[in-house]
Amino acid sequence: MIFQANLIEELLAVLGYWDRLFSGFLLTMWMYGWALLLGFILGLFLAILRVYGGTIFSGVATGYIEIMRGTPLVAQLFFIFFLPNTLNIPSEMWVIETSFSIFNKEISLKLLDYPIFVGILTLSLNSGAYQAEYLRGSIVSVGAGQLEAAQSLGMSRLSSIRHVVLPQALRRVIPAWSNEAAYLPKYTVLVYFIGGVEELFFQADFIQHKTFFPLTTYIIVSIMFLITITSISKLLEFIHKRTAIPGL
Amino acid sequence: MDEPLLRIVDVWKSYEDLQVLKGVSFELAERDVKVIFGPSGSGKSTLLRCINMLNPPDSGEIYLRGDNITAPNVDLNAIRTRIGMVFQHFNLFAHLKAIDNVSIGLRRVKGLEKQEARRKALEALNRVRLAEWADHYPAQLSGGQQQRVGIARALAMEPDVILFDEPTSALDPELIGEVLQAMLDIAKAGTTMVVVTHEMGFARAVASEMIFLDDGVVIERGTPEHFSVSPKSKRVKRFLNQLDVLYGSHEKLLKLSEEEEGK
Ligand SMILES: Nc1ncnc2c1ncn2[C@@H]1O[C@H](COP(=O)(O)OP(=O)(O)OP(=O)(O)O)[C@@H](O)[C@H]1O
Ligand SMILES: [Mg+2]
Repeated sequence: MIFQANLIEELLAVLGYWDRLFSGFLLTMWMYGWALLLGFILGLFLAILRVYGGTIFSGVATGYIEIMRGTPLVAQLFFIFFLPNTLNIPSEMWVIETSFSIFNKEISLKLLDYPIFVGILTLSLNSGAYQAEYLRGSIVSVGAGQLEAAQSLGMSRLSSIRHVVLPQALRRVIPAWSNEAAYLPKYTVLVYFIGGVEELFFQADFIQHKTFFPLTTYIIVSIMFLITITSISKLLEFIHKRTAIPGL
Repeated sequence: MDEPLLRIVDVWKSYEDLQVLKGVSFELAERDVKVIFGPSGSGKSTLLRCINMLNPPDSGEIYLRGDNITAPNVDLNAIRTRIGMVFQHFNLFAHLKAIDNVSIGLRRVKGLEKQEARRKALEALNRVRLAEWADHYPAQLSGGQQQRVGIARALAMEPDVILFDEPTSALDPELIGEVLQAMLDIAKAGTTMVVVTHEMGFARAVASEMIFLDDGVVIERGTPEHFSVSPKSKRVKRFLNQLDVLYGSHEKLLKLSEEEEGK
């Protein structure tokens, strides 16, 4: 009974900072969204190079993918964070801020500054390598016969890839790609290490110091992740079903 | 007409150390139907893939209405719109309805408007008696229907010549007839065709010439009657015998050649 009373009290104390949890969550999702999107564009480009690029381009793409997948994301974050400084390049960044209020709370949200930029960039470069591998697998699985049939009609290689191979490859990639879409929010957490980014874990750290309820704080944060990631998986499952090719 | 529609001159092709084609030459006039046959691995598919430059030959020339398509700097995409291809395993675009399989070339290559492309695609589907299946996806069609869509897809581009690579060999026996019938119909309507097939009935009905290819070399060529009545080479006779054992549908051909041997 006592435990339960405490739990509710702790919950209420932590949730009292809901505005910080909310803005931290928004920033995490903001970085996640960009990283997933930019990583997808990069991954698609890398995958096409790997499959159709010939020895040199495919080799370059493979090398990039192996390096990004074979080194720790935290190391990549620090590397990119300190790179401009080492090279004596000024690293000031336009700051983009927005603010709005809900339930009479003013929430101000930094959308872009140097650390956030580093976070989005590094996550994109890293996620691109993983997404490239999923995309490569699905492109290869479409089979050379489809490309040949398109080329036999006089379609250029590029047009054949765009209109025949990719529409099939992108449908096929969804189940495997949802892994990356579901993992990436968790990797986004690592941006916390470069400091100064007020994402969800920065806010969680702030809240647990204020409330002295670390366990409850991190349980709530974890539940937020669980709900988010489950929703992303379910959404992709739905999209996969909706885009299925009839008869297959 | 002096210039043949298609002229293959001394085509050689190898994959690494494996010499597949060893100097193949033949010509094709307008409305000709050329049947190529021969044992597995003799280079029949390779020859067709050389003709539409999916696998350019190592040496030799190919002329399409007088244009040397093996010359460097030729726009291969433009050339391929003039050479249709029907594949052994159909290779239909799995994500597109039958009608869109047929119209994609018209839209993306010939730049036709959607309505015009659709009208022409329906026309082509109609020629293979599949107009009412236009809105089905490949996976919803039987093998025979899929191959007929493949034929319509090639037809719709109005190419100078259509190449067929064993179009019925992946089909269940009961589905072969409808595909051969469609091929027969378009051949009789004047389509120029190069057909790799072992369907001797089809060859007898429409082939203007048959070519027996073995080990990358043309061993013998002649009319269907020639191969029915008096094939010269032992290898051809043996091969035709084997065909009969395998397919059991060439009794007439076999009897005639046995008589010939008995003389
Ligand atoms: N892309 C390739 N790379 C290497 N070898 C190949 C390739 N394509 C074909 N070959 C080889 O070339 C030879 C001729 O093959 P091809 O497919 O032209 O024969 P085919 O007459 O069409 O035989 P089938 O009746 O089995 O279709 C075979 O020995 C085959 O293994
Ligand atoms: Mg073959």
